[in-house]
Amino acid sequence: MTISKKSMKWIPWILILPVVLIRGFTTLYPICATLKNSLFDIKVLSGVHEFVGLSNYVNVFKDPKILTSINFTLVFVVVSMVFHVVLGVCLALILNMKFKGRRFLRTIVLIPWAMPAVVIGMAAKWGFNNDYGLINDFIRRFVPGFQFNWLINTGSARAAVIAMDLWKDLPFFAILVLSGLQFISSDIYEAAKVDGANSIQSFFRITLPLITKNVITLCIPFTLWRLTTFDLVYAMTSGGPGEDTSLIAYRITMEAFTNLNVGYASTLAVMLFIVMALFSWFNIRVMNKLGD
Amino acid sequence: MKDLNRYKIYKGCVAAGRWFLFAVVAFLILFPVYWIFISSITPPGELFKTPIDYIPDHPTLESYKFLIENVGLFDKIGNTVLIVGVTLVLSTCLCAMAAYGFSRFKSKAISIAFAFIIATMLIPEVVTARPLYEFMQKVGLYDTYPGLIILYVSAVIPFTVLILKNFVGEIPLSLEEAASIDGATFLQRLFLVVLPLMKPAIATVCIINFITCLNNFFTPLYYSNGIQVLSVSIVQLPLRDNMYGVPWDLVSSMGWIILLPIIIFVAIFEKQIMDGIMAGGVKA
Repeated sequence: MTISKKSMKWIPWILILPVVLIRGFTTLYPICATLKNSLFDIKVLSGVHEFVGLSNYVNVFKDPKILTSINFTLVFVVVSMVFHVVLGVCLALILNMKFKGRRFLRTIVLIPWAMPAVVIGMAAKWGFNNDYGLINDFIRRFVPGFQFNWLINTGSARAAVIAMDLWKDLPFFAILVLSGLQFISSDIYEAAKVDGANSIQSFFRITLPLITKNVITLCIPFTLWRLTTFDLVYAMTSGGPGEDTSLIAYRITMEAFTNLNVGYASTLAVMLFIVMALFSWFNIRVMNKLGD
Repeated sequence: MKDLNRYKIYKGCVAAGRWFLFAVVAFLILFPVYWIFISSITPPGELFKTPIDYIPDHPTLESYKFLIENVGLFDKIGNTVLIVGVTLVLSTCLCAMAAYGFSRFKSKAISIAFAFIIATMLIPEVVTARPLYEFMQKVGLYDTYPGLIILYVSAVIPFTVLILKNFVGEIPLSLEEAASIDGATFLQRLFLVVLPLMKPAIATVCIINFITCLNNFFTPLYYSNGIQVLSVSIVQLPLRDNMYGVPWDLVSSMGWIILLPIIIFVAIFEKQIMDGIMAGGVKA
């Protein structure tokens, strides 16, 4: 070797330091600053900057806006994840079917994944319009004279946001389930067929048990992504009607950049981060238990 | 004979069922995309028509012309291409180096550094946004190309490092040993032996990072003001006439300008994208 052992010790650090520094600068430093800010009352507009201890944290639970946000975020995450799992597995099975259109189908399911959420959000804003939108136009072809303003009513606006979230991310979930399905060897199915199992039996007795762990593992990042969804709501409903569709990530960003209530926004951000960390830690423990 | 017929009917039903499912999925995905396209070439006045005309009678490029003349479309495309291009080159170089370091050198500190990079995947943008914004303003990186590029690079680092590190791990060490016996220096081994072998993995991460960067919305929205990219412009289009709060003629044409390269990319690189997604689970 032309390089002595001693100087070799520094080489890996020269190689990895740039990425570590960039990541540290864009994540570690801001997190510490957010943590510190969460203990202050900082209002940029009125120039307030004073230490208030944990009172921001107490105020969160008295703020009806935040309670609405937390409420919808929970509904959003739970409903969206249930559909992700159920429909995602179905779509993965469709993608795994052996037939001529398979390659084409696998290509087009990548389109929603690759589309920016803002484009989907802006298109959905018009698509759910009562008079000229795609959705009502479609319904009117079966129910003439149908009138409904989706994004103005709380329930339907929430359903619309969840539907668009599913449209974008369900194919992505299905592709990842598919990667698990492809590992199941066809020998097992043939053996089951010889033993007289029909296709429904072999799905519930072979496929489902074999992909369960894979699907549960997938649910961890997908739940975290749901918790931090921002673009879609920003473009589609701007949190409306009222505050009814403002997901917590949207609420935090609005407090930080529009209301300039930085201390309060930091408190919310810290709480979101703690929830995400606890959720991941708990799930990784469960997964490790299941693995044993 | 009867059994054979029954089997044929059963087979036929299964095939028909498959094509039916295929049609449903394809319709649900492609129809909205098609609707965005035809809206973009429909004259603005005809967008206020019910039922919707799915084959426009008077196709026009007027909305695109308006975007070019009044919204500065080419500036935005230029900005996007510049930022995404530099980001791809920079992130690939930095991450390929790091991947080699993480894969070939083992020590406790290096493992911790790798775990740190991967763990930061979990940190959401909204948590870091405000302090980072203030920091960028303080050091004069706010609303500058270098500032945006640093943030774009940072966003793709964890995924890129993960994929490339796993790939380097599969390149046999014996190749490098052979090269060093022949007198190759460390840098020669890295650039002449390992890097050429990494080409397929680098292609995969570049394709996926290209899409991720085009889709990046939060970063350009909050860390720049004058420098506008395509993803942000779609929410900042001017309202023409009375458009019910959505300038749908412009939104659909701007949307289509963003979608076209993405759809072409997906069609060409379907296999690499699938491999990349399955290996790293990256969210665009």
